[in-house]
Amino acid sequence: MTRARMTCAAACALLTALPAAAHHSFATEYDRTKPVSVTGTVRKVEWRNPHIWFYVDVKDDRGRVTTWGFSGAPPAFLQRQGIPSSVLKVGDTVRVDGFRARDGSNNASGGKVTFADGRSVFTASPEDVRPN
Amino acid sequence: MRCLLIIAAGALIAACSTAQAPESSASDQQGIPRAADGKPDFTGVWAGPGFVHTGNPDTDKPQVRLYTEANMAPIKPGARERLYRPYAKNVLIDDPTAVCLPNGLTRQIPSPYAQQWIQTPTQLVILYEYMHFFRVIPFGPPNRPHAPDVEPTYMGDSIAWWEDDTLVIDTIGLKEWMLDAYHAEDGGSRWHSDQMHVVERLRLTDAMNASYEVTIDDPAIFERPWVEKWSMQRKPSWKILENVCEDNNRCIAGNCTPADVQLSSASQ
Repeated sequence: MTRARMTCAAACALLTALPAAAHHSFATEYDRTKPVSVTGTVRKVEWRNPHIWFYVDVKDDRGRVTTWGFSGAPPAFLQRQGIPSSVLKVGDTVRVDGFRARDGSNNASGGKVTFADGRSVFTASPEDVRPN
Repeated sequence: MRCLLIIAAGALIAACSTAQAPESSASDQQGIPRAADGKPDFTGVWAGPGFVHTGNPDTDKPQVRLYTEANMAPIKPGARERLYRPYAKNVLIDDPTAVCLPNGLTRQIPSPYAQQWIQTPTQLVILYEYMHFFRVIPFGPPNRPHAPDVEPTYMGDSIAWWEDDTLVIDTIGLKEWMLDAYHAEDGGSRWHSDQMHVVERLRLTDAMNASYEVTIDDPAIFERPWVEKWSMQRKPSWKILENVCEDNNRCIAGNCTPADVQLSSASQ
């Protein structure tokens, strides 16, 4: 089994966990009725407690760039599921699926990251609503 | 305060220095590891009740568990509002952990983070990964009184004893705080009173697993004590990890300020 496949298999194990809250409340911060799917370039990764954050620059048809911020699981959750911090690299092209912040900002829960080669990992907390 | 911290740190170091490594434990005929004093040996890193146990030594599925309403004793007349706090749009009521305040004991027990137990003949030390909390719990005679001058705290005053092979941990001195991780999407938060008395009863069922019964005895809220039955599983390959909540806490209670988000952080 390749490392990439192992990572994906481990990440997919996150899918079976049922909703419950760890540090924060998904429902308090994000709106499950507002799914977000953006494609862009990873600008920055913060693999830090209490939740990882990563930022993606998204260019529109006119070439204007909007930076989206995504919140994911605590680092320990991901580490124990075989997902290292190196899974997200600055400059990677990714599609991120999540749910938009309730405050209307360009922040979202970063539930699923799909890479250019089709691999995907679930970076969400187990309590977060899972994108398709 | 500084004095207390020094005493706690000293106790921790003393406990760690005399702790029995799990590898050195002997096992009985049922495969239950035994410490040098013959007691079941809980020393090791555990996935507590906050996981769906896989049996895999390397992985486990984190999941916060809530106390089960069906297991609760009847609520005393007029006490329901002490247990259930409506969503108040106030983080200190809705979820104080969102500003990195502690879980408190009853929420820490089923927290989905690792915990390391260090057992000696005289005390049990529990190191919780989540927010770096710890408990230093002295062993002694069963049902002995707690110290008379216990001040209410988040983790309370715990003492322990053995009932045959069952480890009993008795805790009082808990301040009024969250019962568990019940959240706004569930209809509000859940709290216990400062009269809370918690009894944890643990028993090794084999080398890798332990049953974990928690008795909730809160006479200010419930008509009688009630019991939640959980379990924990050893994870020999795990280490407890650093968990600094204040490190990068963002968008508290859904309010993402410019200081929280990409304008300040991604541009750095």
